Amino acid sequence: MRLIVARCEVRYTGRLNAVLPNALRLIMIKSDGSVMVHADTGGYKPQNWMTPPTVIEESEGRMVVRKLKGDDRLDIEISEIVSDVTHDMGEAAALEKDGVERDLQELLAEQPHWCGEGLRLVRREWPTDIGPVDLMCRDADDEWIAVEVKRVATIEAVEQLTRYLERIRQDPAMGACRGVLAAQTIKPQARTLAESRGIACVEVDLAVLRGEREPELTLFA
Amino acid sequence: MKITCSSAELLAQLQTVARVASTRSAVQALSGVQVAATADAVELRATDMEVSLRVPLTADVERPGSAVLPARLTLDVVRALPAEQVTLELRPSDQDVEIASGAATFHIRTLRSEDFPPLPEPGGDAIVEVPAAAFVETVTRVARSASRDETRPILTGILVSASGRELRMVATDSYRLSVKETPLDRELAGSFEANVPARALQELVRLVPQGGEGDEEAVLRVGVRANQIVFETGGAILSSRLIDGQFPNFRQLLPDSYEHELRINGDEFTDVVRRISLLAQKNAPLRLAFREGEVTVSAQTPDVGEASETLPVAFTGEPFEIGFNPEFLRDGLESVDSGDLILKLISPLRPGLIESADGSGFLYLIMPIRLNV
Repeated sequence: MRLIVARCEVRYTGRLNAVLPNALRLIMIKSDGSVMVHADTGGYKPQNWMTPPTVIEESEGRMVVRKLKGDDRLDIEISEIVSDVTHDMGEAAALEKDGVERDLQELLAEQPHWCGEGLRLVRREWPTDIGPVDLMCRDADDEWIAVEVKRVATIEAVEQLTRYLERIRQDPAMGACRGVLAAQTIKPQARTLAESRGIACVEVDLAVLRGEREPELTLFA
Repeated sequence: MKITCSSAELLAQLQTVARVASTRSAVQALSGVQVAATADAVELRATDMEVSLRVPLTADVERPGSAVLPARLTLDVVRALPAEQVTLELRPSDQDVEIASGAATFHIRTLRSEDFPPLPEPGGDAIVEVPAAAFVETVTRVARSASRDETRPILTGILVSASGRELRMVATDSYRLSVKETPLDRELAGSFEANVPARALQELVRLVPQGGEGDEEAVLRVGVRANQIVFETGGAILSSRLIDGQFPNFRQLLPDSYEHELRINGDEFTDVVRRISLLAQKNAPLRLAFREGEVTVSAQTPDVGEASETLPVAFTGEPFEIGFNPEFLRDGLESVDSGDLILKLISPLRPGLIESADGSGFLYLIMPIRLNV
């Protein structure tokens, strides 16, 4: 990561022409070829930028950033450099979001009863020829239950589970396989569509699954 | 269209019908009230596509026709009219309606009539006539238990069943369940069962005249179709879509037996619960601690305060404490109406049942809240 604080004028040419007049700015050049020109105000968004892949040509008092394909081009005329430092950032660690689908899937795999009474896990990531079903379970009567896990279940999740069920039911031994859509939040339209297709909907609480909180007592699920 | 009518009646009917007009639809016409005048009758109409309402308006019709006016603005204008009479005239060339009363004149732009849907007509194959007072009373007793959570549409309805000499309504939001079975004086000429949005039934309660002479004889005509229900009362027609899906089987939710069965003065207990609930804020539970011969109702909200009150009850056995959502408990007690009630309990984590001791056929099953201490 190279960070240049410099007094500069930036000209963009390409889909349109734009000029940032001479002023003190931060030029951020990432190892992947992204180039961003920031001012000290104006929020998180750069004043101008170029997405990778790019070609960067430098000469005395001048930097030209071009897109590898196309005519987009940033001409940066540098009149004064205040700071020019490069840091080795090492390998990037991905953003870890709390409560993502994988967390939910793992927790529900350990406690499948939250997806339906008496359910037991047969396999996580049950393969079908159009993709894996998150959880394949069996109920107390040994019937098959395919569970699709989402953080937020939309109509698309219902369609996805419907496709899986169609494939799974082609196997005569699994012809009666039922579907369960398990999510932290289920959109009303998704619930309506799911119920019209005989797919059960289960809203799960991450804090309860993690044992951080006792579940609310209800008359029925 | 040109009509003349009483300002007061127009206001009264507009107030009734405007409640149904949509407040958040992308179709602008649904936020309006349609004034429809035929040669011999005038009707005000509104719908949000789920619930529709048509109410009659007594008026002199000079020129038949119809126009859709913005509900909120028209209501404000009519409320402020200076004279007893008002004339509404559609001016197609200006796309507005002239509202003239006394020396005041308003021109209100109309909404697109073609976007306003035709509303269901009354009648049909199976009309069941139900005593209006019994119907309204039954709705009132159970409506509070209907869910307001749109993610579970089935629970936002009230399951209405009418057959023989009984009217039954059931509502539940999964935390409590209300059941009211109302015996009828006369055998119904037909039967139906439908999951009707609670909102539609609450609008219906407002429409049915109550407390007046002869109101006990008033009849509600109910027509149930494939996915729609139509109510007719006093010239007004309210229709609603029905909610699809399997309503929970309430009989399966009622426990077979209870550990404790206490007869309590309903009014006294309700007053105690109302008072102590004032200190059960921020989701704090209301605690009921039962000991030999008494129950102490208490609540505590951190950083706010605490309250408690003891009431004599015929409790015997091992002392125990149970917590309830104060609002849900209050709803149940208030729905019992008056007189003694029977409180049935099993254990701190099992549902409790409140029923009226007079055998009026009302049940309120309520789930407790876990108490940490």
